[in-house]
Amino acid sequence: MNIVLDILSDGFFAAIAAIGFGAISDPPMRAFKFIALLAAIGHACRFCLMSYAGMDIAAASFISALIIGFGSLWLGGKIYCPMTVIYIPALLPMIPGKFAYNTVFSQIMFLQNMKVPELKAKYMEMFFSNGMVTITVIFLLAIGATIPMFIFHSKAFSLTRHINK
Amino acid sequence: MTNDILLQHTKFIAGYAAHLMGCGIHTSRVIRNTRRIGESLGFDLQISVFQKSMILTMQDKDTQKTFSEVVEIPALPISFEHNSELSALSWEAVDQRLPFEVLKDKYTKIISAPRIDPLFVLLLVGFANASFCKLFGGDWMSMVIVFSATIAGFFARMQMLKKHINHYIIFIVSSFTASLLASTSLIFDITSDIAIATSVLYLIPGVPLINGVIDIVEGHTLTGISRLTNAFLLIVCVAIGLSITLLLVHDRLL
Repeated sequence: MNIVLDILSDGFFAAIAAIGFGAISDPPMRAFKFIALLAAIGHACRFCLMSYAGMDIAAASFISALIIGFGSLWLGGKIYCPMTVIYIPALLPMIPGKFAYNTVFSQIMFLQNMKVPELKAKYMEMFFSNGMVTITVIFLLAIGATIPMFIFHSKAFSLTRHINK
Repeated sequence: MTNDILLQHTKFIAGYAAHLMGCGIHTSRVIRNTRRIGESLGFDLQISVFQKSMILTMQDKDTQKTFSEVVEIPALPISFEHNSELSALSWEAVDQRLPFEVLKDKYTKIISAPRIDPLFVLLLVGFANASFCKLFGGDWMSMVIVFSATIAGFFARMQMLKKHINHYIIFIVSSFTASLLASTSLIFDITSDIAIATSVLYLIPGVPLINGVIDIVEGHTLTGISRLTNAFLLIVCVAIGLSITLLLVHDRLL
């Protein structure tokens, strides 16, 4: 029971985050419900893969981004929106902000502890491992969500077309 | 077609392309949409896209005359609404053979439509960042602090945007404002490192980051790298603002 609750709350907060961060970029009103839905599914899926399947953050993000990508291809046609209008806001909650923060934090601490070799080495290691996760995950998120566009390109390019459907 | 009309058409197509590029749409879609618009007006189009300008070469299919137009890409706020409406317009233009005047009216109507109410966005961003804090394992008290810190930071950003201050400075100041307010969480015994870390995340330029990767993967490496570089510079600014706060409080964080 607890597991279900964890997954649901993860999806719920991801949906709110996607709506809020998406709102900065002015999406069409009709897109919000699908943005929230896909963000919740994607983030909850990553949460499950990482907590219960023991997968690492990069692979789990990639699979979730794939799901969001296919979802946006399917839902985009229903409301005449390009895929990117739906999947970019839905991906935003998955951008690894905590790792990005740790990269900056360790950089500052590294510079402050130049004279203490152990601390210097510790923060150097922290800087590279966090930076690597941040870059890899952002790259895989974008690729994962874009792959459906490559596979079904003729459908993906005509989502906003109003005839022939 | 007389030269005068041709000139109007050329200017319109160039303006359309530059607007799409300016409001955060990945390059291959801009090119496809613009080609479609050109097609509907009887032009064959070739487009080169650079970081701050684009070159369009249009050939009139009737007379085989060729025209070139160089336009500057304006720095516009990102708008997904424009993305979907202007894409739909390009299909409509080519499917229904819209006359030029109708096309131009529809275009003007789309780009002058009001954006979502800023105060509503402010509220949504506050809730979004608070949920982010929760996702990273923050407790309820941290969420409340992050909510108010985000509102203050985002409000500062909106005010500075209105005054057309340099956007790097805007990012530094609003990141500093938000993280400093979030550092009030150090007074209480809560997850304050998570609160400070998440308080600035609303500033991360996620849209250009993802667009940049899409561009690179699709072969538009030049625009892709330039988008990523711009996003990277903004992230550095967020980091600077955050660093000032961290330098002030880091003794209490460890």
